[in-house]
Amino acid sequence: MARLLGVDIPNRKKIEYSLRYVYGIGPTRSRSVLEEAQIDPNLRTQDLSEQDLSKIMNVILERKYLVEGDLRRDVTANLKRLQSIRSYRGLRHQRGLPVRGQRTITNARTRKGGRKTVGVVRNK
Amino acid sequence: MSRSIKKGYFVELSLERKVRRAQQSDDRKPIKTWSRRSTITPDFVGLNLAVHNGKNFLTVYVTENMVGHKLGEFSHTRTFRSHNPHTQK
Repeated sequence: MARLLGVDIPNRKKIEYSLRYVYGIGPTRSRSVLEEAQIDPNLRTQDLSEQDLSKIMNVILERKYLVEGDLRRDVTANLKRLQSIRSYRGLRHQRGLPVRGQRTITNARTRKGGRKTVGVVRNK
Repeated sequence: MSRSIKKGYFVELSLERKVRRAQQSDDRKPIKTWSRRSTITPDFVGLNLAVHNGKNFLTVYVTENMVGHKLGEFSHTRTFRSHNPHTQK
């Protein structure tokens, strides 16, 4: 397993796909980074040399991609901002409900998590 | 879809006028408005606005962070009554 950008340990997959294990790098960025670093995306990660890896890293740093910790921090900062100004969107995030006006009478399971049955407790 | 940049921010004209007057006169009395669709521009910072939520006017103190949001985002329109029949038994 190779190390890239500190903590990330992609594996024996093709480099095009292992790169996506970095938080903040998806299919598009992965491909364009490899293209600029002039590395064959079909090579397995384990077959890359140290120089190849550092070349990839340099491209990512050069392009100032927010990646891993920085990106995560950026996202939480955005949420914090919305919540601190008490906007509707912040409130929905706090409650764990959909933020963009979707219905909640049914569905919205991704945001609401698993189903919790609420039974009616009747007096005997 | 977000609004075209070409068009610029939308702020209700009447509200814009009132905001400008308030900023010049140092008057910090809440400005009543129904215009929830108006965008908060930097001119609004430091003002109190009473934004209608369909029933009442909720006072919103505008801070720098709110610039770019709409007024309606800060004046909640729904009251949430909790789902908890168990505790009320």
